[in-house]
Amino acid sequence: MEIKLKKYSSVYIIEVIGDMDLYSAFELKDVVAKMLAKGIAKYVLDLEKVEYIDSSGIGVLIHVYSTIKKAGYKLKIANVHGSVEKVIRLTKLTHYFPIVSSLKEAIGLLER
Amino acid sequence: MEENKRIIIDNNNPLLKKDGLFFKEFPSDIRQVRFFSMLVVQKAPPEIKEINLLEQQISELIKNAVRHGNKNDMSKKVKIWAGFGNDHAHVIVEDEGDGFKKLEEWNEFNKKRNECFANQDFEEMEKYFSFRTEESNENDGGNALFAALEYWDGGVVFTEKKNCIAVYKNFGKKKYGLELN
Repeated sequence: MEIKLKKYSSVYIIEVIGDMDLYSAFELKDVVAKMLAKGIAKYVLDLEKVEYIDSSGIGVLIHVYSTIKKAGYKLKIANVHGSVEKVIRLTKLTHYFPIVSSLKEAIGLLER
Repeated sequence: MEENKRIIIDNNNPLLKKDGLFFKEFPSDIRQVRFFSMLVVQKAPPEIKEINLLEQQISELIKNAVRHGNKNDMSKKVKIWAGFGNDHAHVIVEDEGDGFKKLEEWNEFNKKRNECFANQDFEEMEKYFSFRTEESNENDGGNALFAALEYWDGGVVFTEKKNCIAVYKNFGKKKYGLELN
Protein backbone atom coordinates (compact mmCIF):
# COMPACT_ATOMS: atom_id res chain seq x y z
CA MET A 1 0.00 0.00 0.00
CA GLU A 2 1.25 3.46 -0.89
CA ILE A 3 0.03 6.79 0.44
CA LYS A 4 0.34 10.09 -1.45
CA LEU A 5 -0.55 13.45 0.01
CA LYS A 6 -1.82 16.39 -1.99
CA LYS A 7 -3.06 19.77 -0.88
CA TYR A 8 -5.89 21.69 -2.45
CA SER A 9 -6.46 25.03 -0.77
CA SER A 10 -6.96 24.16 2.92
CA VAL A 11 -7.93 20.54 2.17
CA TYR A 12 -5.46 17.68 2.38
CA ILE A 13 -6.10 14.75 0.07
CA ILE A 14 -4.78 11.40 1.23
CA GLU A 15 -4.58 9.12 -1.78
CA VAL A 16 -4.33 5.45 -0.90
CA ILE A 17 -2.92 3.15 -3.59
CA GLY A 18 -3.12 -0.64 -3.27
CA ASP A 19 -4.67 -3.08 -0.82
CA MET A 20 -5.82 -1.97 2.63
CA ASP A 21 -5.23 -5.27 4.35
CA LEU A 22 -3.81 -6.77 7.51
CA TYR A 23 -0.28 -6.22 6.26
CA SER A 24 -0.44 -2.54 5.46
CA ALA A 25 -3.61 -0.73 6.52
CA PHE A 26 -2.07 0.48 9.81
CA GLU A 27 0.22 2.79 7.80
CA LEU A 28 -2.76 5.06 7.14
CA LYS A 29 -3.37 5.35 10.88
CA ASP A 30 0.21 6.53 11.38
CA VAL A 31 0.02 9.09 8.57
CA VAL A 32 -3.25 10.57 9.90
CA ALA A 33 -1.86 10.68 13.46
CA LYS A 34 1.09 12.78 12.22
CA MET A 35 -1.22 15.10 10.27
CA LEU A 36 -3.49 15.55 13.30
CA ALA A 37 -0.47 16.42 15.41
CA LYS A 38 0.27 19.22 12.93
CA GLY A 39 -3.26 20.58 13.38
CA ILE A 40 -4.49 19.77 9.88
CA ALA A 41 -8.28 20.14 9.98
CA LYS A 42 -9.71 19.07 6.60
CA TYR A 43 -9.12 15.64 5.11
CA VAL A 44 -10.23 13.74 2.03
CA LEU A 45 -9.45 10.07 1.84
CA ASP A 46 -9.32 9.10 -1.83
CA LEU A 47 -9.91 5.36 -2.29
CA GLU A 48 -10.09 5.31 -6.07
CA LYS A 49 -6.99 3.14 -6.34
CA VAL A 50 -7.99 0.72 -3.58
CA GLU A 51 -9.44 -2.51 -4.94
CA TYR A 52 -9.28 -4.58 -1.75
CA ILE A 53 -10.05 -3.97 1.89
CA ASP A 54 -10.29 -6.44 4.76
CA SER A 55 -11.46 -6.24 8.38
CA SER A 56 -8.13 -4.65 9.43
CA GLY A 57 -8.62 -1.98 6.75
CA ILE A 58 -12.21 -1.36 7.92
CA GLY A 59 -10.86 -1.09 11.48
CA VAL A 60 -8.38 1.56 10.30
CA LEU A 61 -11.14 3.54 8.54
CA ILE A 62 -13.21 3.51 11.75
CA HIS A 63 -10.20 4.59 13.79
CA VAL A 64 -9.21 7.37 11.37
CA TYR A 65 -12.75 8.77 11.12
CA SER A 66 -13.47 8.65 14.85
CA THR A 67 -10.08 10.23 15.70
CA ILE A 68 -10.57 13.09 13.22
CA LYS A 69 -14.13 13.60 14.49
CA LYS A 70 -13.05 13.64 18.15
CA ALA A 71 -10.44 16.29 17.33
CA GLY A 72 -13.25 18.45 15.93
CA TYR A 73 -11.89 18.16 12.38
CA LYS A 74 -13.52 17.03 9.15
CA LEU A 75 -13.14 14.03 6.84
CA LYS A 76 -14.75 12.93 3.59
CA ILE A 77 -14.13 9.58 1.93
CA ALA A 78 -14.25 9.67 -1.86
CA ASN A 79 -14.29 7.17 -4.72
CA VAL A 80 -15.36 4.12 -2.74
CA HIS A 81 -16.09 1.42 -5.29
CA GLY A 82 -16.07 -2.29 -6.17
CA SER A 83 -15.33 -4.78 -3.42
CA VAL A 84 -14.34 -1.98 -1.03
CA GLU A 85 -17.85 -0.57 -1.24
CA LYS A 86 -19.27 -4.09 -0.78
CA VAL A 87 -17.19 -4.84 2.33
CA ILE A 88 -18.24 -1.52 3.88
CA ARG A 89 -21.85 -2.42 3.09
CA LEU A 90 -21.44 -5.91 4.61
CA THR A 91 -20.24 -4.34 7.85
CA LYS A 92 -23.28 -1.97 7.65
CA LEU A 93 -21.12 1.12 7.91
CA THR A 94 -22.13 2.76 4.62
CA HIS A 95 -24.24 5.41 6.37
CA TYR A 96 -21.77 5.92 9.19
CA PHE A 97 -18.78 6.84 7.05
CA PRO A 98 -18.81 10.29 5.40
CA ILE A 99 -18.74 8.82 1.89
CA VAL A 100 -19.08 11.10 -1.12
CA SER A 101 -18.98 10.19 -4.78
CA SER A 102 -16.04 12.27 -6.00
CA LEU A 103 -13.01 14.28 -4.97
CA LYS A 104 -14.68 17.39 -6.35
CA GLU A 105 -17.70 16.89 -4.13
CA ALA A 106 -15.49 16.19 -1.09
CA ILE A 107 -13.42 19.33 -1.61
CA GLY A 108 -16.54 21.42 -2.25
CA LEU A 109 -18.14 20.25 1.00
CA LEU A 110 -15.00 20.83 3.05
CA GLU A 111 -14.32 24.30 1.63
CA ARG A 112 -17.73 25.62 2.65
CA MET B 1 -35.97 -11.76 9.78
CA GLU B 2 -32.54 -10.62 8.65
CA GLU B 3 -31.66 -8.70 11.82
CA ASN B 4 -31.96 -11.94 13.84
CA LYS B 5 -29.12 -13.65 12.01
CA ARG B 6 -26.88 -15.56 14.39
CA ILE B 7 -23.88 -17.79 14.23
CA ILE B 8 -25.13 -21.32 14.80
CA ILE B 9 -23.37 -23.79 17.13
CA ASP B 10 -24.21 -27.32 16.09
CA ASN B 11 -21.97 -30.35 15.47
CA ASN B 12 -24.65 -31.98 13.34
CA ASN B 13 -25.31 -29.08 11.01
CA PRO B 14 -25.19 -30.18 7.34
CA LEU B 15 -22.76 -27.36 6.53
CA LEU B 16 -20.11 -29.24 8.54
CA LYS B 17 -20.29 -32.24 6.20
CA LYS B 18 -17.10 -32.51 4.18
CA ASP B 19 -18.31 -34.93 1.48
CA GLY B 20 -17.27 -33.83 -1.98
CA LEU B 21 -15.11 -30.94 -0.77
CA PHE B 22 -11.42 -30.63 -1.59
CA PHE B 23 -8.90 -30.37 1.25
CA LYS B 24 -5.93 -28.13 1.92
CA GLU B 25 -3.74 -27.70 4.98
CA PHE B 26 -1.58 -24.71 5.84
CA PRO B 27 0.83 -23.72 8.62
CA SER B 28 -0.21 -20.88 10.93
CA ASP B 29 1.79 -18.24 9.10
CA ILE B 30 0.03 -14.89 9.27
CA ARG B 31 2.32 -13.50 6.55
CA GLN B 32 0.85 -15.95 4.06
CA VAL B 33 -2.83 -15.77 4.90
CA ARG B 34 -3.81 -14.04 1.66
CA PHE B 35 -1.66 -16.39 -0.38
CA PHE B 36 -3.38 -19.39 1.24
CA SER B 37 -6.75 -17.82 0.56
CA MET B 38 -5.84 -17.35 -3.11
CA LEU B 39 -4.79 -21.02 -3.34
CA VAL B 40 -8.27 -21.99 -2.17
CA VAL B 41 -10.12 -19.50 -4.35
CA GLN B 42 -8.26 -20.48 -7.52
CA LYS B 43 -10.41 -23.63 -7.54
CA ALA B 44 -13.55 -21.52 -7.92
CA PRO B 45 -15.11 -21.41 -11.39
CA PRO B 46 -14.56 -18.20 -13.37
CA GLU B 47 -18.32 -17.69 -13.58
CA ILE B 48 -18.36 -16.60 -9.94
CA LYS B 49 -18.55 -12.84 -9.90
CA GLU B 50 -16.73 -10.75 -7.30
CA ILE B 51 -13.98 -13.30 -6.78
CA ASN B 52 -12.05 -10.56 -4.96
CA LEU B 53 -14.75 -10.42 -2.31
CA LEU B 54 -14.86 -14.22 -2.01
CA GLU B 55 -11.08 -14.27 -1.52
CA GLN B 56 -11.36 -11.53 1.11
CA GLN B 57 -14.04 -13.41 3.05
CA ILE B 58 -12.08 -16.69 2.99
CA SER B 59 -8.94 -14.81 4.00
CA GLU B 60 -10.76 -13.50 7.11
CA LEU B 61 -11.65 -17.07 8.15
CA ILE B 62 -8.05 -18.22 7.72
CA LYS B 63 -6.73 -15.15 9.54
CA ASN B 64 -9.02 -15.85 12.51
CA ALA B 65 -7.87 -19.47 12.59
CA VAL B 66 -4.19 -18.47 12.50
CA ARG B 67 -4.37 -15.51 14.90
CA HIS B 68 -7.09 -16.36 17.38
CA GLY B 69 -7.29 -20.15 17.02
CA ASN B 70 -3.70 -21.28 16.65
CA LYS B 71 -2.26 -18.08 18.16
CA ASN B 72 0.33 -17.83 15.37
CA ASP B 73 1.94 -21.11 16.47
CA MET B 74 3.63 -22.26 13.24
CA SER B 75 3.57 -25.90 14.36
CA LYS B 76 -0.23 -25.83 14.37
CA LYS B 77 -2.13 -26.33 11.14
CA VAL B 78 -5.18 -24.72 9.60
CA LYS B 79 -7.29 -27.28 7.75
CA ILE B 80 -9.58 -26.15 4.96
CA TRP B 81 -12.26 -28.02 3.06
CA ALA B 82 -13.96 -26.19 0.22
CA GLY B 83 -16.26 -26.71 -2.72
CA PHE B 84 -17.32 -24.25 -5.40
CA GLY B 85 -19.95 -24.26 -8.09
CA ASN B 86 -21.36 -21.60 -10.38
CA ASP B 87 -24.07 -20.94 -7.83
CA HIS B 88 -22.36 -21.53 -4.49
CA ALA B 89 -19.26 -21.55 -2.31
CA HIS B 90 -18.95 -23.86 0.71
CA VAL B 91 -15.93 -23.54 3.01
CA ILE B 92 -14.95 -25.19 6.29
CA VAL B 93 -11.94 -23.93 8.28
CA GLU B 94 -10.63 -25.79 11.32
CA ASP B 95 -7.78 -24.81 13.63
CA GLU B 96 -6.03 -26.61 16.50
CA GLY B 97 -6.92 -24.05 19.15
CA ASP B 98 -9.20 -24.21 22.17
CA GLY B 99 -12.13 -22.69 20.32
CA PHE B 100 -13.87 -19.31 20.18
CA LYS B 101 -15.00 -19.27 23.82
CA LYS B 102 -16.83 -15.99 23.51
CA LEU B 103 -19.06 -17.01 20.64
CA GLU B 104 -22.34 -16.72 22.59
CA GLU B 105 -21.17 -13.31 23.81
CA TRP B 106 -20.42 -12.38 20.19
CA ASN B 107 -23.97 -13.35 19.15
CA GLU B 108 -25.41 -11.10 21.86
CA PHE B 109 -23.04 -8.30 20.86
CA ASN B 110 -24.13 -8.64 17.24
CA LYS B 111 -27.79 -8.58 18.24
CA LYS B 112 -27.31 -5.26 20.06
CA ARG B 113 -25.25 -3.99 17.13
CA ASN B 114 -28.09 -4.77 14.73
CA GLU B 115 -30.60 -3.01 16.99
CA CYS B 116 -28.47 0.14 16.84
CA PHE B 117 -28.29 -0.08 13.06
CA ALA B 118 -32.03 -0.66 12.78
CA ASN B 119 -32.62 2.48 14.89
CA GLN B 120 -29.88 4.40 13.02
CA ASP B 121 -28.48 5.25 16.46
CA PHE B 122 -24.98 6.21 15.35
CA GLU B 123 -23.81 7.36 18.77
CA GLU B 124 -24.70 4.06 20.45
CA MET B 125 -23.52 2.18 17.38
CA GLU B 126 -19.92 3.26 17.93
CA LYS B 127 -19.78 0.92 20.93
CA TYR B 128 -20.51 -2.00 18.62
CA PHE B 129 -18.19 -1.37 15.68
CA SER B 130 -15.62 -3.81 16.89
CA PHE B 131 -15.84 -6.98 19.00
CA ARG B 132 -12.71 -7.10 21.11
CA THR B 133 -11.36 -9.55 23.64
CA GLU B 134 -8.29 -9.45 25.86
CA GLU B 135 -6.42 -11.14 22.99
CA SER B 136 -7.24 -8.45 20.41
CA ASN B 137 -4.39 -6.28 19.24
CA GLU B 138 -4.51 -2.85 17.62
CA ASN B 139 -4.38 -4.30 14.11
CA ASP B 140 -7.44 -6.50 14.65
CA GLY B 141 -10.43 -4.97 12.96
CA GLY B 142 -12.82 -6.90 15.22
CA ASN B 143 -15.47 -6.69 12.50
CA ALA B 144 -14.78 -9.69 10.26
CA LEU B 145 -17.56 -11.91 11.61
CA PHE B 146 -20.20 -9.18 11.22
CA ALA B 147 -19.42 -9.06 7.51
CA ALA B 148 -19.17 -12.87 7.36
CA LEU B 149 -22.69 -13.29 8.68
CA GLU B 150 -23.95 -10.96 5.95
CA TYR B 151 -21.83 -12.38 3.13
CA TRP B 152 -22.30 -16.11 3.82
CA ASP B 153 -26.04 -16.05 3.25
CA GLY B 154 -26.39 -19.85 3.41
CA GLY B 155 -25.24 -19.89 7.03
CA VAL B 156 -22.31 -19.57 9.43
CA VAL B 157 -21.89 -22.56 11.75
CA PHE B 158 -19.37 -23.44 14.46
CA THR B 159 -18.79 -26.85 16.01
CA GLU B 160 -19.48 -27.13 19.73
CA LYS B 161 -15.72 -26.99 20.42
CA LYS B 162 -15.85 -23.75 18.40
CA ASN B 163 -12.57 -24.33 16.62
CA CYS B 164 -14.18 -25.17 13.29
CA ILE B 165 -16.34 -22.85 11.19
CA ALA B 166 -18.44 -23.76 8.14
CA VAL B 167 -19.89 -21.17 5.80
CA TYR B 168 -22.03 -21.24 2.66
CA LYS B 169 -22.66 -18.60 0.02
CA ASN B 170 -25.38 -18.69 -2.64
CA PHE B 171 -24.60 -16.86 -5.84
CA GLY B 172 -27.45 -15.70 -8.01
CA LYS B 173 -28.05 -18.13 -10.83
CA LYS B 174 -27.10 -16.85 -14.22
CA LYS B 175 -29.99 -16.08 -16.51
CA TYR B 176 -29.63 -17.11 -20.08
CA GLY B 177 -31.49 -15.76 -23.07
CA LEU B 178 -33.19 -12.46 -23.58
CA GLU B 179 -34.89 -10.67 -20.78
CA LEU B 180 -38.10 -9.09 -21.99
CA ASN B 181 -39.10 -5.77 -20.49
